[in-house]
Amino acid sequence: MSKGTIVSVSGPLVTASGMESANIQDICRVGRLGLIGEIIEMRDDVASIQVYEETSMVGPGEDVETTGEALSVELAPGMISQMFDGIQRPLDEFMEMTNSNFLERGMTIAPLNRDKKWEFTAEVEAGTEVSAGDIVGTVQETNVIEHRIMVPFGMKGKIKSISNGTFTIEEPLYVLETENGDKELTMMQKWPVRRGRPIKTKLNPEEPLITGQRVIDTLFPVAKGGAAAVPGPFGAGKTVVQHQIAKWADVDLVVYVGCGERGNEMTDVINEFPELIDPNTGESIMARTILIANTSNMPVAAREASIYTGITIAEYFRDMGYSVAIMADSTSRWAEALREMSGRLEEMPGDEGYPAYLGSRLAEYYERAGKVVTLGSTERLGSITAIGAVSPPGGDTSEPVTQNTLRVAKVFWGLDSSLAQRRHFPSINWLNSYSLYSNDMNKYVGKKLDVDWDGMVTHAKALLQDESELQEIVRLVGVESLSEKDRLKLVVARMLREDYLQQNAFDDVDTYTSRNKQYEMMQTILYFEEQSIRAMDLGSYYDEIIEGTEDIRERIGRMKYISEEELVKIQEIRTKTKSDIQTVLEKGGVESDA
Amino acid sequence: MPSKIGVVGDKDSVLAFKMIGFSVFFASEAKETRRIIDNLADKNYGVIYLTEQLAEMIPETIKRYDAKMKPAIILIPNHAGSRGIGKKRVQENVEKAVGQNIL
Repeated sequence: MSKGTIVSVSGPLVTASGMESANIQDICRVGRLGLIGEIIEMRDDVASIQVYEETSMVGPGEDVETTGEALSVELAPGMISQMFDGIQRPLDEFMEMTNSNFLERGMTIAPLNRDKKWEFTAEVEAGTEVSAGDIVGTVQETNVIEHRIMVPFGMKGKIKSISNGTFTIEEPLYVLETENGDKELTMMQKWPVRRGRPIKTKLNPEEPLITGQRVIDTLFPVAKGGAAAVPGPFGAGKTVVQHQIAKWADVDLVVYVGCGERGNEMTDVINEFPELIDPNTGESIMARTILIANTSNMPVAAREASIYTGITIAEYFRDMGYSVAIMADSTSRWAEALREMSGRLEEMPGDEGYPAYLGSRLAEYYERAGKVVTLGSTERLGSITAIGAVSPPGGDTSEPVTQNTLRVAKVFWGLDSSLAQRRHFPSINWLNSYSLYSNDMNKYVGKKLDVDWDGMVTHAKALLQDESELQEIVRLVGVESLSEKDRLKLVVARMLREDYLQQNAFDDVDTYTSRNKQYEMMQTILYFEEQSIRAMDLGSYYDEIIEGTEDIRERIGRMKYISEEELVKIQEIRTKTKSDIQTVLEKGGVESDA
Repeated sequence: MPSKIGVVGDKDSVLAFKMIGFSVFFASEAKETRRIIDNLADKNYGVIYLTEQLAEMIPETIKRYDAKMKPAIILIPNHAGSRGIGKKRVQENVEKAVGQNIL
């Protein structure tokens, strides 16, 4: 390949002349150190290259060499439980090779282990006609994930030979007889990160993603194949929400992209995840997690790439027929990386200095989520659920990143610093958050549980809405001015808030709530309301009800700590509620309807 | 909107109110009284006269309607004589309304 010469260096942006044979999006080796960079702009023979590594000590006159390849990821067994940087370099091997805790420059490391042998089981026989996306065999990568080896995109033909055995990812696995002659294929595929992997058709998402987080599953559910945004000011708990979903969501695989956030947050993941047991499979959560880390002190340009690397890996597993969730924490840092590059390229800035194409880039990313029918002759369904944290400065969600995200994400979990200060976690504000999947998802859950879940959720939402209006009156003229019915409403709404929506991520039992338990809990609170209103209609006073149900209300408050195996106990609370209310009625002498 | 006036008490004391056209209800113990008062409050009664003897038995109910505009519960003595609490309540309410005891 031809060599160019560096003309100027400006942070992560290097311009080089004499690059007429290079193409946009080519990967280059920059300077004596051989830093990895990508061409993002071409003018005549001058290429602008964003360099994924620190560029100090690189100066004009040094060589730039293009590799002629686009930025790609290697897709093969060996990815799961690994931690990669933004351009898919495995970080622990990096540390071993460089003997340093920081990124040394100019290193070339194979993304995946070339020496490890994988046990391959063929699923098709020689002589079978296969096309792109067809599964030729499987590798049991971890206890929970069976890595399905697919025919790469663009390949079609008859399998000439294939056999079981152990192979490395580079050894030829099977021979495909194509129109252009025989091709030896390996486990490994390469895919350019900026292009979405092809699919057959996109479907409407209809199944909810169960996260075990009550406020999310009940009030603002996200569909498998949907996209959600979690904006929130500092300290409101974006990262904990993301971690919780990564831990407990009922997906087959989680790709967690730590993008420009604190390094300790990734450390938390590494420390906590291996110890946690996935309730759906009974195996360690790490066995279904892939981490991509570009923490705040790592090069800015690689941050821009990390999101694409993550989603490409997610797409690869989706193509196998898995449901995948990808968390990006946080997309604001990613947008800031775009802004930095755009500024150095001297492009015309848009809102708040973000490039004018911010919206289309965000949309490009979120649109790669979805529920799809994959390529291949057998009908496989896969989905990617994208959940992106957004950190709007000052918590003001009218800024461009949040707004552009909301345009494409159908779910909005607005975190609220005032809730966080009141120690209400997860601090998702129930008044301004929304989910456009709510109706479909609630009906789906209702059908599954055979109850009127939609009605219950709507009622609970209405109660919370009424509460905020009543609170306003109370703030003006005091609680005495409310009617007894309204005061009871306040009590029930408070129960919903404190006993249902609040959830402790650090409590062993409370951290995950199954769908059944959510139903039982919600049912208990609404039953309390129903019984109290009945008592009131029969003539009991508010004070009497409050006094008579003190004990039962406390038990309702503690029901979130009842473990999944003992759901009968929650039903017992309901029986007790009924008898306690009956006692109140008898005491007030209004037991009959007469 | 016109409201009605009700009288609640033991038979001997309140029967005479029927002559003036008030609705008269008889009660002799707490639960019964409470039910009647709650009932009247629901039914557009603006003023309820209640004998002091009965009022003493149901302080909670009386307190409950103190905070409301309607009905006004006015305590009256019964045939056995006054206990003084009715007058005291009037004085208290006057004090609350004008700021000092002018009676």
